[in-house]
Amino acid sequence: MAIQAVSAQEPGLGRAPSPRRHWPAGLILSCAIVLGVVAAGLTAPWLTANSPLDQDLLQLNKAPGGDFPLGTDHLGRDVFARLLYGARSTLGISLAGTAIAFAIGAGAGLLALTFGRWPAAVLFALIDLVRALPGTLLALLLIVGLGSGPGPLTLALGISFAPLVAYVTRATYRREAARDYVQAAASFCGGRLHILQRHILPNIAGALVTQAAIILPRCIVTESVLSFLGVGSSPDAPTWGRMIADSSRFVERAPHAILVPLVALVLLTLALSTIGNHLRRSLDPVRDAADRTAEDADDDQPAERARPQLATA
Amino acid sequence: MARIVAVLASLLRGLLQAAFIVMLTFFLCRVMPGDVVDVLGLEGGLTVEQQVEMRRSLGLDQSLPRQFADWAGQALHGDFGRSIRFDRPVGEMLATALPVTAKLAALSFCFGIGLALLLAIAATARPSRWLDATIDFVNTWSIAVPTFCAGVAAILVFSIWLGWLPVIGGLLVPVLVIGVDNAGQVVKSLREELREAVMLPHVRTARAKGLSPWRIAFAHVLPAAMPIVLALSGLVLGGLVAGSLTMEVLFALPGLGSLTLNAIHGRDYPIILAAVTLIAVALVAINTIVDMLHRLVDPRLA
Repeated sequence: MAIQAVSAQEPGLGRAPSPRRHWPAGLILSCAIVLGVVAAGLTAPWLTANSPLDQDLLQLNKAPGGDFPLGTDHLGRDVFARLLYGARSTLGISLAGTAIAFAIGAGAGLLALTFGRWPAAVLFALIDLVRALPGTLLALLLIVGLGSGPGPLTLALGISFAPLVAYVTRATYRREAARDYVQAAASFCGGRLHILQRHILPNIAGALVTQAAIILPRCIVTESVLSFLGVGSSPDAPTWGRMIADSSRFVERAPHAILVPLVALVLLTLALSTIGNHLRRSLDPVRDAADRTAEDADDDQPAERARPQLATA
Repeated sequence: MARIVAVLASLLRGLLQAAFIVMLTFFLCRVMPGDVVDVLGLEGGLTVEQQVEMRRSLGLDQSLPRQFADWAGQALHGDFGRSIRFDRPVGEMLATALPVTAKLAALSFCFGIGLALLLAIAATARPSRWLDATIDFVNTWSIAVPTFCAGVAAILVFSIWLGWLPVIGGLLVPVLVIGVDNAGQVVKSLREELREAVMLPHVRTARAKGLSPWRIAFAHVLPAAMPIVLALSGLVLGGLVAGSLTMEVLFALPGLGSLTLNAIHGRDYPIILAAVTLIAVALVAINTIVDMLHRLVDPRLA
């Protein structure tokens, strides 16, 4: 990489600038949106004087203007304040959910894969048992069992995405573990954990980061679906999904109360998935080619073949 | 021989999956905070003795494995018990809700896969930037726009601003929304598969013979990519279930999704259990059938 970068900067060679330097407009816009949402969530108390929870029953379903820059909802709550505080809880819950999904899926998956055939076989057999249940339904059932509120919601999101992470982890791990240098390290009596930490982890980190960027927007969407179904976040920590859900019955009288969080949610997921796609292309360029050969070699389940593809699409 | 073993193995796996999901649901229903007696007690002001008596008559005071064994034994004979809140047989309630969901899901599935196939084949037969842009758009749409958001937006635009469609009851909008979502999930992989299938030698021969692009796409490229179409249709199911759930709630359709959610809010275990069992068994059955078909169609797999 370093050599390529140097040669690209040399004037005499006349080579096109390396593709990594090129930042497409869509990517810059997406980064700006994500940074904006993060900033809004962090600085919410300073951006608005209104509380997201205060109800003003004299000002129900007010159109934007005056004291309320984005109007009020069906309980007279300030939509702008709810949007800002909602950015905080939406991102917080989804980030924590993604982290849990990786802790379970990638953490347990890698450990099991490292310690030989049987632990991995048992773990993936277990995951295989719940795979028939769609993620949303699994999360719904988990919330039924765990109770509602931010904690159980985050846990349910994490668990429902863990199988997907585990499959991707296994695919990348197998691809890497078959490489010559890993075999060489093993033949030098390198410990399994040492090989994992020193050789495999640095080489699959890119793929895992990419996967995280792809799962984060899906986490946000699933959270909003659960909130819409009335089992998601609690009323005191309003997420955008919750805002859409609350206002969906009053769409006739207060379209702004639903349009504002809806547009925000779509823009955020769109921006995040654009960044995820870009990361995939720049961090993990060999993935597609390598996957194809790996799949031909040990494709035991048809659905599994298409699943990682879908996850990265 | 190996093929038969593989088919039997996938059948066995399907059975195990279904059993595990049912057990998980049963357990989660029982550990959920606040049972049906609590909810009814809050609403109807039952005394403590009445609550104890009710728990005993419902069998809620027995051990979990015992309760599960009782329930599973009856369920295997087709008896899912009675709804605690409505005091009607659960089987009857499911029978009225199932056709609504089945119709919604089947129509959405056909529309979604049809749209994806149409776009992918058109892009293969006559490659153009516009078609690729459309495919990208549909794909991005399904990632970024949750079905219920699209549903709400559709209500807002078509029913309220334009006044074209009735808000509630019609299947058209839900089918369109779920269908586009499904199509977006598979269309990109489908396009890639067809792009590869175009490189196959027999397709090149067909082109050299001067067949029309559409004929090549339908008669030569599509059959070669059929196994992947099958696998992808299995993948859509998850989105189909989530989509039906939200669409039924949003458009007030009296299907399985609405039934399950109302049961969750009312802690009506027999309904939750029976509905989730039904959904899980249906999904596992479809997945297993797709898997077995796939193994039969594609000899490389078995």
